[in-house]
Order: sequence, then C-alpha cells, then structure tokens
Amino acid sequence: MNCYLFKGTRKGLMIAIAAVAVGLGAGVAVLWATGEVKADSGLSPGFIKGTNPAKPDPKMIEEGKKIYFRKCVWCHGVDGGGDGPGADRLWPRPRNFNQGTFKIRHTASGELPLFDPTKPIPGQNDLFDTVTHGLPGSAMPPWDGILTEQQRLQVLSFVTTQLVKDRKFDDKTETFTILDINNKDAMKKIPYSKESIAKGAQLIVDKKCVECHGNEGRGDGNPFNLKDDWGFPIQPADWHKCWNFRGSREDPYRVETIFRTFSTGVNGTPMPSFADNTTVEERWHIANFVNSVCEREKEGDPFSPLLQMDPQTAKPKTNFVVPSAPIEGEIPADPNDKKWQDRPRRIIGMGGQITHKPRNFVNRIDDLWIQSMYNKNEIAFLFRWDDRTKSQVEPGVTVVPIEEAPPVAGEANSIAAKQNTYTVYNDAVAIQFPAKWQEYAPPEKPRYLHGEEKRHVDLWKWEADGTLKAYTGSGWDKPLEERPGATEKLKLVKGEFNEGRWTILMTRPLHTDDKDADVQFETGKYIPTVFFAWDGHNGDAGLKMAVSAFYYTILEPPVPIEAKVYPILMAVGMIIAEGWILRRRATKREMMMKK
Amino acid sequence: MSALFPRFVEGYMPMQMLGEVGLQIVLFIYLFYLLDKKMGIKVNKLAQATSLFIYSFLYFRYRIYPPLPFSVIAIYETNVLIGIFMWVSSTETSWQDFRRPLIAVADGLTPTTRITRAVSVVLLPFLVGFLGWNNMKPSIDEPIELRTVHPAPPASTKVHGKTFVLQTARNPYRVDDQGNYSEGSSPIMKTYLDGNPWDEKAPPYLQYVREGGQIFFQNCHFCHGDNLNGRGMFAFAFNPIPANFTDAGTIAQLQETFVFWRVSKGGIGLPREGFPWASVMPPWEQHLTIDEIWKVILFEYWHTGYYPRTWD
Repeated sequence: MNCYLFKGTRKGLMIAIAAVAVGLGAGVAVLWATGEVKADSGLSPGFIKGTNPAKPDPKMIEEGKKIYFRKCVWCHGVDGGGDGPGADRLWPRPRNFNQGTFKIRHTASGELPLFDPTKPIPGQNDLFDTVTHGLPGSAMPPWDGILTEQQRLQVLSFVTTQLVKDRKFDDKTETFTILDINNKDAMKKIPYSKESIAKGAQLIVDKKCVECHGNEGRGDGNPFNLKDDWGFPIQPADWHKCWNFRGSREDPYRVETIFRTFSTGVNGTPMPSFADNTTVEERWHIANFVNSVCEREKEGDPFSPLLQMDPQTAKPKTNFVVPSAPIEGEIPADPNDKKWQDRPRRIIGMGGQITHKPRNFVNRIDDLWIQSMYNKNEIAFLFRWDDRTKSQVEPGVTVVPIEEAPPVAGEANSIAAKQNTYTVYNDAVAIQFPAKWQEYAPPEKPRYLHGEEKRHVDLWKWEADGTLKAYTGSGWDKPLEERPGATEKLKLVKGEFNEGRWTILMTRPLHTDDKDADVQFETGKYIPTVFFAWDGHNGDAGLKMAVSAFYYTILEPPVPIEAKVYPILMAVGMIIAEGWILRRRATKREMMMKK
Repeated sequence: MSALFPRFVEGYMPMQMLGEVGLQIVLFIYLFYLLDKKMGIKVNKLAQATSLFIYSFLYFRYRIYPPLPFSVIAIYETNVLIGIFMWVSSTETSWQDFRRPLIAVADGLTPTTRITRAVSVVLLPFLVGFLGWNNMKPSIDEPIELRTVHPAPPASTKVHGKTFVLQTARNPYRVDDQGNYSEGSSPIMKTYLDGNPWDEKAPPYLQYVREGGQIFFQNCHFCHGDNLNGRGMFAFAFNPIPANFTDAGTIAQLQETFVFWRVSKGGIGLPREGFPWASVMPPWEQHLTIDEIWKVILFEYWHTGYYPRTWD
C-alpha cells in the first residue's frame, strides 16, 4: 500500500527531513519563534515540545464514571473497548479507548492527544474539543449543551485514566509534541488564493494524496483495501464533503482543521502525518486546495459562496423545493453545458432506509445534487452524487437484498467488519412522484416509501447496467411493477461514472397519455418528489437503500406580464401621491403664513 | 448577526419567545426613558418607532430557528406596526413628536431636510415598485405545512395480536424493588434517576433500563440521537425531524401508553393530521417485541429524567 509507505519508514524519514529542515533554517526559525532554540531537537517544522498534562483529581474520575455509565457506555462499552450494545451496527465503530489511539489531535503522529482536566481551552485540549463538538461523519454527537464543561472534563478524566489501558497520560516516557497552530509567527498562514490552490493541486499529486483520496479527492483512490489499526475496513475521506471531516463541526471550511489533520495524521488509520515530508508552507497550500474542492454553491467554483450549514445537524442546509426552469429549444445533453451550470442546484439529504426490513444502518450515499429544467415538450433531471466505486452486478448473479444486521453480532461479524465483502449489485438512483398528485389536497400525498395500495406512485429508476425504467409503486410491502409503455417515454441522456462521481441525466415528456399511472407536469405546481439511491458495493438492493424526505419539484412559470406592468404602475402612482402630498403641505403652510 | 442574536436551537418555544418579546419591549421603553430623563438625550418618537420596528424584524429573522418563512414574518411585522402606531398615537404630544420630522422634511426649510426630501421623493417610487415586483413575481418558496405533532390517540391499540387499552395499560417494567407497579414520579423512580444501570447489583428497575438502553442504541439512536435529542446521524435527511425527547414538549407531556402506541405503530400508523406519508418512524412492532418496546420507553424516561404523564 502506498499509503502505508510513509508509515513504515517514518523514523528514517523523520530524521532525514528534520536534518534538512534544520539545515534550511526553517526549524531554527520555528524554534526561535517559540523561544525554545534547540538545534538538535528533532522536531518537525511547526511543532513545539509540550509536557505531560496535570493528573485528574480522583473526585473528577469518580464523577466522570457516573457520567460515562449514563451517556457513553452504550456505544463505547463497559470497559471502553468500543464494544457497547450499539457498536455492531455502526461503521465507523465507536472508538476503542484501551490502546490510547485517538484520531483528532494537535500532537505528533503516534502520540497521545492533548488532554488537561484543568484547562477546557478550545484548540489546546483535543479530547475536550472532540467531546464538545462530536465527530461529524460518525455517530459521535456534540455534547456541548448536554454535558457542562466540568462534566466533559470529568468524563474524560475517567476515560483517560481508567479506560485507556495500554498507555498513561502521566507516563514520563510519553512525549507531547504539539502543532503550534495558534502561533501566528511560526505558522505564517498562506491566505486562500488562486496561486495557493494551484500549488496545492500539484502537491497532492507529488505527495501521493491522490493515491488514496482519488484524482478529484472523492475518496475513491483506494477505497477497498484500507484497514484501521483494529482491522476494520476504512475509507479515505471525500474532500468534497468537508462537513463530514472529523473535528470540523464548528466550521467545515476552516483551513486550519485540514492543516491540523494533515500535519498530525490520523492515529489508528492509514492516514499518515505529513509533518516530516512537507514544509509548513506546503501544508498550507495543500490545506487550501483541499478546502477549495469542498462543495460550494456553484459546482466546481472554489470562490463561489460557501454552503450554509444547518446549526442543528452541521450538514448543508436543505431547501425542499427543486426548481425546474423553462428554457427555449433543446435540453442540453452535456451536463457541463452553460445552461446547466447556470441553474441553481439543490442538495438532497439522504438517510438510510431504517423504517422497514432490511434496514440500512450504514448508509454510504448521504447526499445527491439535483438540477432540473424543462422546455415545451419535456422535463430533464440531472443527478450527481459521489460514490467511491462504480458498481455493476456481474452477469448471472441473482440480486438478493442482504439480510438486516443483527443487533449484537460480535466484532468479527459486525457491519464494520463486513464492509467490502458484499456481493456487488448495481448502483442506482430513483425519483418518485405521486401518480395523480393533482387529486390530493396539500399537504396530503401518498406515502414516501413507494406509495400506498390505492395511492400509487410513479417511480423512475436508473441502474448502473444502463437501464432506466418506470415503475408503479403501491406500498412498501408490494413489489414495484414495471410499466413498459412508460419506460419507453423515459430517455437516459447521460449515465457516466467519472473520478468517484455519477452523473445521470434523464428526460421525459411533460405530458403522456396514461394519466392514471404517469405523473403529469404542470407549471407553478408543487409536485411531491422523493429520491432513492443505492450503492452496489454496500449490498444495496430493494429496500436496503438511501432515502430522502419529501421534496417539491416546481416548474417555474414564465413571468406573467402583470408582474412586470403592475409594479411600474404602482411606482407611477407613488410619484403622483408624492406630488399631491407635497403640494397640499405647501398650500397649508402658505395659509398658515398668511394668518 | 448570529453573535448578536444567538438562535433558539431546539425548535419553536412559543412561551419563551413571548416572554422575550415582552421583556424586550419593556427594555426598549426603559432605554428611551433613561436616555431622555437621565441623560438628557431626547430621541424623537419617529426614530424610536423605526428602531423598534427594525429591531423586531431582526429578532424574527435571526433569533428564531428553524427560520420563519417570510410570509409569517410579514404577519408578525404587521402586528408590530399596528402596535407601534397605537403607541405613538396614544397621546397628542407623542403624535406631534412623531409627525414633526416628517413635516419638516415635507416643508424642506433647511438644507438637510431639503436633501432628505429630494432623496425620498426619488427613492420611494422605486421602493414601492420593487416591493410590488417582489410580491407579484412567481414565487417558489417552500410551502408551509403544519403538522399535528401529538395527534389524538385511539382508545386501544393491537400489537402482536394483543390489545392494549391506552387508559388502563401499564408498563410492566416500571416496578419497584418488590416488583409492584410504581406510577410516574414515585419516590423509587427518583431514587434511581442517578443510578448506574450497568451496576451488577442494580435493582430490577435499573436492569430493565439497561436492557431498554441496549435496544435504543441498536435501533433508535440513528434518528433520535445518542443524546435522545432528535439529532441522530440520519436526522439531517428527514422531515419532519425526529422527536427530541429532552424537550419538555414530547414524552414529558405524554402518557406512557401514548408513547407505546406511537412506538408500536410508527409513522405509518398516524392519523392523517400527523402526516403519516412523510414520517420515517418505523412501526416498531415490525422489529421489536412488546417487552422490548416497553423497556425502551422505560429507558427514554430514565435517560431524560422525565416522568410519564399520568391519566388525571
């Protein structure tokens, strides 16, 4: 594994690079700035020496234990082994504290994280920050507002002294080498700019980041062969979803977070520290580049406005209206056509289908991007979503949805352990409308999961084998029925997998003859819409899939003539009214003067 | 803006909002009183009214979360406007004070008022035209759909072939050390509120709590969250958002049997006013046994520290 390359030879590299760095004076400058000039310190650029933290008070440990057995034990387990009752249905699994291996740190690779039971200072107390803000992209929630500062320190006092078993925070042989990120002079942050991003784009190739994270950073470089220190499969981060970066909750677009992760590495995972083979400056360029590929309002534009985050969920805010714009002429077949680029896009939040069996506890597709437009004949939907692999069912393989994971399976049979062992099915995406939405008085509509027995839905499903079919849904417990006549009317304009992302463009005539079963599109109406997605490498098939909430497709009506004329009339009326008021006041004043 | 108005984060809380609005009005009046009487700064009624109006808009726009739709803010602001007019026109002096700057601008006797007059004469028609356009152009706002969160329960519910009458059914695991049913906020429940359900010597009640917790963290936390606050891993994708059990408006004000009915029958079992078509809440009878459902409910009350409402 190339990603392991740096790990194996870390020591040698460290010495070599430290020597070079010192020779270049970078190390000296850093040490000067921190007032600790030690030419032979062997520290990587940007790091300073720290000390063992204060020992927690026994009372804090005692109090912390109570909190642990109320709040944490359910996932992390009675002995802190990451094997609580909830663990077997989670991927990533809850942290096993016993080894003292923690991912998000300001300390050098392999070291214990920063934790001081007396100092709840953000940025200087890694474990405290992790508990406070949770770990986005995992089940670990933020405990801010649930546990007081003191309680968080207490529970961490318990965890670090009682559940971390293989190492001790007060062991004098433990080193604490701290990334001096708050020291502005030493860090010399490079601002986010075109030049810096361009340099970063080159560096991620030179430093082999792309080998795991993929050429476009969608985490698709080496998604199936990586394992963490506990032997569970792990996938490289998708840089396009910075809100899923661990330790990014406060602000996913904060460059320092990426700089930190990149400098210190992620302990227990194949993500190495790049502290020894990059300069501080190079790390800023890389961090700026990684930040630049995170999705923003406009596709592929690193300087367009940032996505707004929902403070409750720390995910991009969703807008439940999917606007479809009227256009003149043909629908452009190229998704990169300017007409498509200029259309606003909407993010569709996707959760695992966990209502009916087989439930999808580990959901790999957590969002889709949708765009739509229509002309006088047809409507088009453009889907884009990140998927680390193209999955297509092998000929002859029967698709049988995998069974639901048992609540307690043991580590070896847990969902996390089973990742990457499933029979590969088709990647797929579907869009669903009520067949006769006109007949329901809003907000009433057929149920989100394939409608109901007497309230049918029209569902269009594309699969990675290139098929696009129309189905009738009559309830979650009934099989979808294909309608060949309706399938003929659907047109797959584009179905392409490129660098960890699917792009699917489909069209259908606005109106069809089968008004009972086919959805009919009318302008200016809110048409309830539900999205479904399947990741073939996750064993997704049938009801094991990702689902969205109800969205509304609306065909934007052309602007009516009244909307243009009336405002002008109103403005003219205002001018007349102004003249009248001022005249009246003037006459009144004159009369008063005369008196 | 968010630093100035930290948001409510746990959904709408009408009483809190009403309290805050009332407090702020009093503060505003007191502020102007202080400026006038203590510091000798006389703030004109028109300026007072305008600042109050702008402040109220910012409050509705930025303080409340989830954000109010514009149409709702417009209704609130209309009420605020009416209130402000009643206030400024309550006495003749106040009304004259309010009118004075407007008349001064209309008269345009000094250079400043003349410039203000010219600017407003030009800008006002544009403003009116723009508002008209804004109002008439085709809108694609999210539709407002009001859902009944706690619809009226049925008299009884049938789960796994067994009929439960909601008025009389009891959680068989809500028991004291002797195994007797122990109602809502009974002393025994209070004693064990801070108990450790993982203690090997835990009393039966706490052992049932532990079993309920295990079920919760194998099934429910994906939506309702590890904190039971409705912010689980999948919560962001769903609408309506999962119930927040730590909010005083959910399980704290419901009878335990109501919760039993909702858990067993799930979203699909809701009456129409509860939007059964949109809820992803599973009908848990498809996944759990009757005992497991009762235990998980026991756990939810224990963990949040609430007691089920009793039939009174």
